Amino acid sequence: MKRDILTLGVVLLVALCANLAAAAPVEVTLWHYFEHEADALEKVVADYNAMQDEIYIVPTFVSRDELMNQYTIGAISGQLPDIGMVDSPDMASYIALGVFEDITDYLKDWDDLQYFYEGPLSSCMDAEGRIYGLPNNSNCLALLCNMDMLRAAGYNEPPKTWDELLEVAAATTDASKGIYGFAMSAISNEEGTFQFIPWLYASGAKVSSIDSPEAVEALSFLTTLVDKGYMSKEVINWGQGDAYNAFIGGRAAMLESGTWQIATLDRDKVHESFEYQYALLPMGKQYASVIGGENFGITTACKAKDACVEFLKFMQSAKNNAQWCEIAGKLPVRRDAIDHAPFLSEDERYVVFTEGMNYAVARGPHPEWPIISEALYSALQAALIGAKTPQQAIKDAAAVINPILEVTPIGE
Amino acid sequence: MQAPQGKRRLNISMTTKTKLEGLLFVLPGFLYTVAVLGYPLVYNFLLSLRNVDVRTFVRGTSTFVGLANFKALFSNPTFLLVLKNTFVFTFGSLVFQFTIGFALALLFAKRFKLAGPVRGLLLIAYMMPMSVTAMLGKNIFGVSGLINDLLLKVGLIQQPVEWLVNTSTAMIGVVAMNCWVGIPFNMLILTSGLTTIPDSLYDSAAVDGATGWQRFRYITLPLLRPAILAVLMLGFIYTFKAFDLMFVMTAGGPLNSTDVLGTYAYQLSFTKYQFSLGAATGMVLFCCLLVVGLFYLRLIAAEED
Repeated sequence: MKRDILTLGVVLLVALCANLAAAAPVEVTLWHYFEHEADALEKVVADYNAMQDEIYIVPTFVSRDELMNQYTIGAISGQLPDIGMVDSPDMASYIALGVFEDITDYLKDWDDLQYFYEGPLSSCMDAEGRIYGLPNNSNCLALLCNMDMLRAAGYNEPPKTWDELLEVAAATTDASKGIYGFAMSAISNEEGTFQFIPWLYASGAKVSSIDSPEAVEALSFLTTLVDKGYMSKEVINWGQGDAYNAFIGGRAAMLESGTWQIATLDRDKVHESFEYQYALLPMGKQYASVIGGENFGITTACKAKDACVEFLKFMQSAKNNAQWCEIAGKLPVRRDAIDHAPFLSEDERYVVFTEGMNYAVARGPHPEWPIISEALYSALQAALIGAKTPQQAIKDAAAVINPILEVTPIGE
Repeated sequence: MQAPQGKRRLNISMTTKTKLEGLLFVLPGFLYTVAVLGYPLVYNFLLSLRNVDVRTFVRGTSTFVGLANFKALFSNPTFLLVLKNTFVFTFGSLVFQFTIGFALALLFAKRFKLAGPVRGLLLIAYMMPMSVTAMLGKNIFGVSGLINDLLLKVGLIQQPVEWLVNTSTAMIGVVAMNCWVGIPFNMLILTSGLTTIPDSLYDSAAVDGATGWQRFRYITLPLLRPAILAVLMLGFIYTFKAFDLMFVMTAGGPLNSTDVLGTYAYQLSFTKYQFSLGAATGMVLFCCLLVVGLFYLRLIAAEED
């Protein structure tokens, strides 16, 4: 009898230990470079950690440049986080480098996939259409106007065409006070390319038809803005944050501005200093904008792939995606999120960006996008500082881009 | 006859033993160097002889291409510009930081009132992280920055100069900021060199009627030679492999006008994923520094002889 009790005790103890071991969640790391959006991320991670006990997610901030480096190094050394965030145009390169895991099979029974917008989702795919992650948010570019300055110059509405933009920029420029009519970012990195793409596509050109008179026209238009003194030459050293600072500091009347800046405009209480208004980027031959946004992928080094995919599904559910976008100032990546996001139709600023998404084009996806991107921003810089004519700059860019596209065409 | 022979044998075994001991002492350092320096160096060299990029990386289809990457680099005008920039940046920085640093070292050797605190203040620039210096430089050389403000007030220029926007002037900006850090460094090393020269030499020279210039030319310069060589050598190495200053201040722009080998190799490997070309650029950087290093070792050896 005594022995039986002992055996029972041991069995119970073993069972308890086994149970404890099973219950202890696997700690997984998530790398991201969100700044003002970090609150939104931490909330969804905390919610998920509380509702299940399979994994415990630890989000870690890694600055954007450093994150890119770590993925590249990780591709060789295998030292990767379990879940990683990436800027959408870079995803194709990292898929090619083997950083992200093919999760197509994990998602094949997930009905929600049909609700995702095609553009953002395609940035998570390789050429064969295999899926390596889920898009987290979208954004695009629009025109932001300082209406106090525009009214003072005699304009009550934001410009709608390139000609009108030139006219308003001329009227609002005040060289003696160091005020420029227009500001954008033309810095030598992806941001410069991002801000150039809308002008390229509005002219009727594409990346795949870079060697065209339309592309020259787009570049000439921006060069004119600098040559006439309506835009500072310093934009070639300005990131989007620098251009934004020029705008809110009253040193630029109009700005090529991204969706995420709605959140920073509110944070900086800009409406208390002056009245501003968003409008679609002015029309060349057509309206155009560019899709930005971040994706999350499961890396090839992930310890708990099943569970991490479940987290991605949870994070990108319609309700959570809507909530996220409201906190972070972004656009959802799925059609049905709008039912949970009244701000998208109530806030005029989001209405403009939601409309802009209809005209917005994706960058790539292309595994050699960084090289294409360098050719584009280099052309922009060369023309703006007058080192090359727009014709020559576009010709040189085409000499880099076209041979790459001949080997691997771009999906446009 | 027997005794001396035995003694010699003893001597020989002693030397062998000492040699063995010496080797043992060298071993940790040697192993460390092989692991920390040798492995990456060999790895990088082998990488530079293949064609690893985003297309060939995962498929494992990269092949041995010999010196093709080096040929590609040396026939690429951008790379040649970058190589030229690296030398312009290095020599430009060395000339200014050495002459000004030397002048300041001589000045502070005078031991006037407050010389110590002022010298200490100058060292702050040297102690600041390079990225902070670069951010400062971005502002100082901005269109509405400090330099333009000063030059306009003095009347040297009528229009603000777009220092970091023009391909012809951006290099001036980064060289100036590098000197900002390099001057205190040069001053520090040369000052400590100056303190090793005994005052009695100057005194007796003065008694013999040597002028200030003669004392400098025939006492200071020859006795300071080791310190000067060291400071130029270290300066060359630190400047030649510059990275963070350009990376933050100009991102190598506008249009590669401030790109140097360090930033160019980084771009190739980490933004464009052309790993082999990046490795080849790194090898070029390494070879340049190796030549300078060997030259320095020869000079030192000649000195000791």
